[in-house]
Amino acid sequence: MVTYTKNPLINDTIPKTIESLIADDISHYLVIKDGHILAKDIDIEGLYIDNFDNALSDKIDVIQKIDDTKTDVSDAFKYVKENATSGIFVHVQKNTVIEPPLHVFVLQEEHDMVHNTIVVCDENSQLNYMEYYQNEQPSSNNIVNQAIVNENAKLTYTTMNLFTQKSVLDVNRQGLVKRYGTLTFNNAEVSDALSNVNTVVKLVAPYAKSYVKTVAITNQQQEARFEQLVEHLAQYTEGYIENYGVSSDTSALVFEGVGKIHKNMKHSIARQQNRGIVLSRKARLDANPLLLIDEYDVIASHGAAIGKIDEEQLYYLMSRGLTKRNAERLIINGFLNPILDALSSDKLKTLFIDSVARKTQDL
Amino acid sequence: MSKLEIKDLHAEVEGNEILRGVTLTINGGETHAIMGPNGTGKSTLASVVMGHPKYKVTQGEILLDGNNVLEMDVDERARAGLFLGMQAPAEVPGVTNSDFIKTAMNARLEEGKKVKLFAFIKQYDKAVQELKMSEDLPHRYLNEGFSGGEKKRNEILQMKMLNPKIAILDEIDSGLDVDALKIVGENVTSMKHDQLGLLLITHYQRLLDYIKADKVHVMMKGQLVKSGGMDIIERIDQEGYDWIKQEVGIDDERVIPKDDKELVTIGTCATKEALDL
Repeated sequence: MVTYTKNPLINDTIPKTIESLIADDISHYLVIKDGHILAKDIDIEGLYIDNFDNALSDKIDVIQKIDDTKTDVSDAFKYVKENATSGIFVHVQKNTVIEPPLHVFVLQEEHDMVHNTIVVCDENSQLNYMEYYQNEQPSSNNIVNQAIVNENAKLTYTTMNLFTQKSVLDVNRQGLVKRYGTLTFNNAEVSDALSNVNTVVKLVAPYAKSYVKTVAITNQQQEARFEQLVEHLAQYTEGYIENYGVSSDTSALVFEGVGKIHKNMKHSIARQQNRGIVLSRKARLDANPLLLIDEYDVIASHGAAIGKIDEEQLYYLMSRGLTKRNAERLIINGFLNPILDALSSDKLKTLFIDSVARKTQDL
Repeated sequence: MSKLEIKDLHAEVEGNEILRGVTLTINGGETHAIMGPNGTGKSTLASVVMGHPKYKVTQGEILLDGNNVLEMDVDERARAGLFLGMQAPAEVPGVTNSDFIKTAMNARLEEGKKVKLFAFIKQYDKAVQELKMSEDLPHRYLNEGFSGGEKKRNEILQMKMLNPKIAILDEIDSGLDVDALKIVGENVTSMKHDQLGLLLITHYQRLLDYIKADKVHVMMKGQLVKSGGMDIIERIDQEGYDWIKQEVGIDDERVIPKDDKELVTIGTCATKEALDL
């Protein structure tokens, strides 16, 4: 259960960087800073979205049903649930398909961030939800993202993080998928922060499906760790994990994916793929794709391919006149392309590409 | 007028000398063809001129309009006007054909200037049509999942867009069916002008039915052992390469050593056979 105290708002202006992102090509958005909603332009039938101030009274019945702290969750998860100062609750009603993507900008300014987002998609509903996180000054940021996907619902939950250097980021994402539900967790990570992102998806009923896709770039002395655990707790469930990473300078990037099929969960599919480019001699990139399988009748695969930029590709692009730097950039952008489709506006795509360029500029 | 001069070029790969003194001059407006059996160093010559990092030049020089090509990086050679249509171009996932060629064209302009988008699209679409390629080509990833023929046509398409001074086409005919060969041949011929120097590397005379060559060279043992006109091709077509080998006194024309390993057939008892039991 959430306990929630809001910090006072010091400055109610929307930062210029966010203003420019919502300027023209985003239609449904919400800006929340230090727990206070600064702007909101979402009014869609069948959709509830608000901060915890209102949600804890409006939607208390739905929130109470989520018995999230009873299960085996981490201390960081509990900490956010007990000390949240910023919160967003999204609820899509039964049989409701929300066509336009929602954009929520979660900002940190005066107080360390302790943020909790809860997205609940009821039976036969559909939502494409995009969250963008940012801070201006070094801060400590604790985030819990929860997604409940009910029978035959479809949720795409995409996050893009841009935290500054010397910040600390700890994200716990938890997904629960029911019969015929589909949950897609996308994560575009271009922060400079010391990051730890932990994703747990539970496929609790037959035909539940989940895709967890992470794209991350680390540079300088940054360290970032991404863990994914997809648990198959029912038969006929499908879990896919995909990681794409680029590490440069003396940074270290770790992907730790686990597909876990419990005993008796026949006909489940667990697949995992990791790909990485290491740009400098001292950079590190680890991928540990694990499969924990306690059942014979399943389909499973896992793999990792990590190396430097392909020499033949570089030679080919350069043989058409591209400078080495341009060729490398093009190859890296192409490599990270799988996440671009998930970003729902052109401005965010540009921001992502620019951030990648910034983080690989010392090449 | 542009001019590519290759003088007494020696090159090696991993300690094996492949090119053993190649001398060739290509002037703007001329079309040369290099023929020869497999493993004689034809493709190596193309790669060395373009600057593939795998090959090391040990002797000789390459000049483009009097400038030392060997001192240039791969990208500088391209911007100076060299083009290599590759035998097996790399696949680059995530990079679209149009982005790639646009970046390549921008690289040729002064800093800060860019190609005009509308003019670019028009030019690109026209080239796609002329090569009878599929309309979604600009949005497809560079060579990814392309058939052999599509890759070759994509090379010609890039040549059209980049308009080089000297173009080397390395076995641009392999993997093409008869219709595709005709399309490629006609497109290359239509690009010919009095400034463009063209070097075709091929096994078969088929390609030369569509692209007329002014000079034909035969390569063996890492050297150009015979040069002449189209008449050489006709004779090779009828008699093979043996008469040339006899003429220059070569038994084994290859420079790439033959693999000595004994091959065994699986199904008998491969282990026994290999161990000679």
